Amino acid sequence: MYILGIESSCDETSLSIIKDGTVEVSTVVLSQMDTHAYYGGVVPEIASRMHVENITIVIDEVLKKAGMSMDDIDAIAVTYGPGLIGSLLIGLMAAKTLAFIYNKPLIPVHHIAGHIYANNLVRPLEFPLIALVVSGGHTELVYMKEDYSFEVLGGTLDDAVGEAYDKVARVIGLPYPGGPNVDRLAATGKDTYDLPLPLNDDSYNFSFSGLKSAVINLVHNEKQRGNEIIKENLAASFQNRVTEILTKKTIRALKERGVSNLIVAGGVAANKGLRSSLKQACDKENINLTIPEIKYCTDNGAMIGAAGYYAYAKGLRADLSLNAKATMELK
Amino acid sequence: MKYLFVNSATTNLVVAIIIDGKITYLYNENDGNDTSAKIMPIIEEAFLKSNIRPQDIDKIFAVNGPGSFTGIRVGLTVAKVMAYALNIPVVPISSLEVMASGFDEDVVALIDARRGYVFAGGYDKDLNSTYKDSYVLFEKNKFNGKLISFDNFSFETFKPKLDLFKIILKHENDDGVNPHVLNPNYLKLTEAEEKRLYDGRN
Repeated sequence: MYILGIESSCDETSLSIIKDGTVEVSTVVLSQMDTHAYYGGVVPEIASRMHVENITIVIDEVLKKAGMSMDDIDAIAVTYGPGLIGSLLIGLMAAKTLAFIYNKPLIPVHHIAGHIYANNLVRPLEFPLIALVVSGGHTELVYMKEDYSFEVLGGTLDDAVGEAYDKVARVIGLPYPGGPNVDRLAATGKDTYDLPLPLNDDSYNFSFSGLKSAVINLVHNEKQRGNEIIKENLAASFQNRVTEILTKKTIRALKERGVSNLIVAGGVAANKGLRSSLKQACDKENINLTIPEIKYCTDNGAMIGAAGYYAYAKGLRADLSLNAKATMELK
Repeated sequence: MKYLFVNSATTNLVVAIIIDGKITYLYNENDGNDTSAKIMPIIEEAFLKSNIRPQDIDKIFAVNGPGSFTGIRVGLTVAKVMAYALNIPVVPISSLEVMASGFDEDVVALIDARRGYVFAGGYDKDLNSTYKDSYVLFEKNKFNGKLISFDNFSFETFKPKLDLFKIILKHENDDGVNPHVLNPNYLKLTEAEEKRLYDGRN
């Protein structure tokens, strides 16, 4: 079964053709990152404008790359939330138009489900599992007992982890996107700064705005005192707190649920500090850890096509009145 | 010839199918909320009631602005994807011209663009432009003609009227645009771009 996956929830216009939820036939990702870098972050209206400019070009490319036509496609899967509403709408309207013209089933896919199923393109998911989803917009711990069944154990109460990275990067003078830059700098520094371990409690929730504020205050206070900030050490200290709390709560979730499979998804899964911290902990606890290669961590249509296959198997369908949702729970 | 007409740029949502000079389906309501949920079922009904398939359409007339940024994109994405998939021409139409189409006199169509600004376009009874579609600060003496708008202003305006035939007649022989380069005509930069330009000057 060939599924056309469509993703436009933030600043990537991406389409992919996926066979049977596991094989990537073709993918096109048109990233707007260079444009948004001028503004230090994603500007929603500019993102929406670029999606509409690019949508048919990306549809055309993904089909040509696969050597297929729309007649070869069995169903269309689309991200309908959560995300930037104006951005989501472009992929959604395109999906509905194609579903209408070619009379194909329309499969509604939750963006986070997509991130989780990116792992299925690396190796088939094994259940039960815990998924740690970390990106610029999301920080969530999800329990799955079987395919396309999601129980959200906890999530961020304020900033998503990637958002905190971007803000900290700005404070220490690193360009957008902040995450990879902080990660790179942290690798060269030492954990010398006294920063709090955020929301170190019994819940599975996260909070990164306090840690972010602590970094901002520290930089401000040191400036007042005329002290020079050792940027690489501050990056390392911040990154250590983030990876420590993410690792700690994730491992606890695995233990408490008696689960031995962990998958990591989302843009921040590309973070080297987080990867090594999770790997160490999983090795110690005998947990099977899957982290997809970086191209599957960031937003892409492939993950939506993969998730769409399992959503379809579960009987999920949408009609032409499907609307985009800026926020919605993963169920 | 079989035409599809789509306008979701303003609160006035219009979907129509015209077959050999006859309107076989017309949705023309001032209920342009939730357009993203409504428009495809309406288009589906339009084809059903007209007894044709999307593959039978020869040309699409799509309003590409000005108006609500999101509204413009919803209808235009449908038109772009349809024109691309069916390999047929798509002709962009001004939302202000659509508003002016039902009058037999000079009118100036207005859309509230907030903070005293309007999207304005002047048209005569044959839909020739008398005041180029623009984003301007509203000043009454700027415009010649009857002021028309769907929006409420502090001054008197008349409700726009649709004459689909007049629009089609005027644009029937316009060259179609390649759907890849058919884009909204917002007439206005985003706030972020405006700020960047402004900061660059200062």
